[in-house]
Amino acid sequence: MAKVTLAPRKGFLSENPSVLRFLGLLTVFTLIVTALSEGFGAGIVSTSFLKVLGMTLCLCLIAVAMDVVWGYCGILSLGHFAFFGLGGYGIGMWLMYARTEGIVRESLANAPIPATEGEVRDAIATQIFSVVGSTELPFIWGFAHSLTLQLLMIVLVPGLLALVFGWLAFRSRVTGVYLSILTQAMTLALSLYLFQNDTGLRGNNGLSGLQNIPGLLHLPQSTIALWFFWASALALGLGYLLFAWLVSGKFGSVVRAIRDNESRVRFLGYHVESYKLVVFTVTAIVSAIAGALYYPQAGIINPAEIAPITSIYLAVWVAIGGRGRLYGAVIGAATVSLLSSWFTGGGAPNIDLGFYEIVWTDWWLVLLGLGFVAVTLFFPKGIGGLFDYLVRKP
Amino acid sequence: MSALLEVSGVSVTFDGFRAINNLSISIGEPELRAVIGPNGAGKTTFMDIVTGKTKPDEGRVLWGETSMNLLGMSESAIARAGIGRKFQKPTVFEDQTVRENLAMALRNKRGPFDVLFYKPNRHARARIAELAEEIGLSDHLPRRAGDLSHGQKQWLEIGMLLAQDPRLLLVDEPAAGMTPAEREHTTELLTRAAQTRAVVVIEHDMEFIRRLNCKVTVLHEGSVLAEGSLDHVTQNQQVIDVYLGR
Repeated sequence: MAKVTLAPRKGFLSENPSVLRFLGLLTVFTLIVTALSEGFGAGIVSTSFLKVLGMTLCLCLIAVAMDVVWGYCGILSLGHFAFFGLGGYGIGMWLMYARTEGIVRESLANAPIPATEGEVRDAIATQIFSVVGSTELPFIWGFAHSLTLQLLMIVLVPGLLALVFGWLAFRSRVTGVYLSILTQAMTLALSLYLFQNDTGLRGNNGLSGLQNIPGLLHLPQSTIALWFFWASALALGLGYLLFAWLVSGKFGSVVRAIRDNESRVRFLGYHVESYKLVVFTVTAIVSAIAGALYYPQAGIINPAEIAPITSIYLAVWVAIGGRGRLYGAVIGAATVSLLSSWFTGGGAPNIDLGFYEIVWTDWWLVLLGLGFVAVTLFFPKGIGGLFDYLVRKP
Repeated sequence: MSALLEVSGVSVTFDGFRAINNLSISIGEPELRAVIGPNGAGKTTFMDIVTGKTKPDEGRVLWGETSMNLLGMSESAIARAGIGRKFQKPTVFEDQTVRENLAMALRNKRGPFDVLFYKPNRHARARIAELAEEIGLSDHLPRRAGDLSHGQKQWLEIGMLLAQDPRLLLVDEPAAGMTPAEREHTTELLTRAAQTRAVVVIEHDMEFIRRLNCKVTVLHEGSVLAEGSLDHVTQNQQVIDVYLGR
């Protein structure tokens, strides 16, 4: 008779110590930044840099989602920033509406005849949409007055888009590079659509002033920034936990098997398309949540944010960080996006060669491209792969 | 012995080439059946049609007591209905452990949410250990499947097939690349499996077929040339001409 190994049932975290380590590091990082922040502690970390850090955490979250969909499930989606952007637009609509409503009500408060609700709505619409030559509130703003409903939209709209798009694409067995092109087309189409003035989201002006939180206008930005930083850290922690749980165990096993040999998984009786759809939709929703936390920190969202190139950058971050390991995605997104803002934000000193001056704002992309090629050639497992090397050869 | 699988009048054409031509085969339960034939006779295409990988141009493929029509079903639904398949080239998930490979194949609910909340129980662990014993991989459960030898991969795939607990096993060249001792073990596994279920084996090796000691179907140019015991078909003049005589 076989020797039956009945291992004691362990908890999820004790079986996955790397998750616990990541959460510990994230907590320590959050506490240190908080202690150094302007709003709370020593003031070494400026409010604008605190916002950059908070936004970076959101980018790490979408990178983790991208790693699950690409690194684990093998779907090279080049459209996940569309969901990120939709999340941003979702929260932006409430932020703009509620803040404008406050301003309108204040200015109408001293009017001799109290304004009707219809007049208030008209005034809000004029305020928001005069920039695109309209005074009508588009029907998609129907829920914008309610934070609860709009938060629901942040989950539902990108979730439904992913569900319908994924269902159509996976059902037709579109895979590999064709699927990547299809996702690029999706994000391009959405971006071009939003660039139009009559789509109800202010065309290329986008939504702005998102850093002003209605009801909290009396608080300094240093405090608001800290709250968003905490929320971003919490979201990254919870998202990381969710995905780590998703890719562990039998579900993770099936998903990785789909990546490696999809038709073989079918012959085992698994409906591959449903699995892909679940992974695609869940990652899209998490991407949208990341976007909803990102844009109040960025202050503005416009259709350029979901241009196809942004989703390609996302794939580059994950590739540089190391596919198929969640912390790799975090490392890649954090490293590349922080370096990017350092180089393009004038942080890096330009190099004068005498006959030519290297201006980093122009040359950063070349550097990134070279970095990407170098990683692909010399470290196919990305920066995260170096950890394996260190662990195996101490 | 009633028919479990009923293939009748099936034809399929690839770019003008008739891979399967009015093919009719009936498999009972339990039964062990060997399918032989020269290269290009349509042996693998036959399996592709039964498992839903290839849709035929005409004909019927009926399954089970209720005569379910397999032609309208997806690969995964056919697999869930009880048809398991082993490929010519061993295809196991090389990046995962032997245990994970077996656990994935184990007969359980296959829906994404069932799998997401699945917890391996005592019964599942015992079944995996039992299967590993049967295919001689007990000591290799925590190993990466990619690190196994060729023969061990073949067995792992047979183990995965048994883990699915199918009513019909389609096995494509199970003995390819095996040592004589490994072949003997494989024969034993297949004959034992065939006591309770239907097993169809495609094989080139006549010695291996002889050891299976079962009914043989000879395919040629996409249809059945002869059927019966090995001695019966090897004496058939047509079979000698197209297959054995070469």
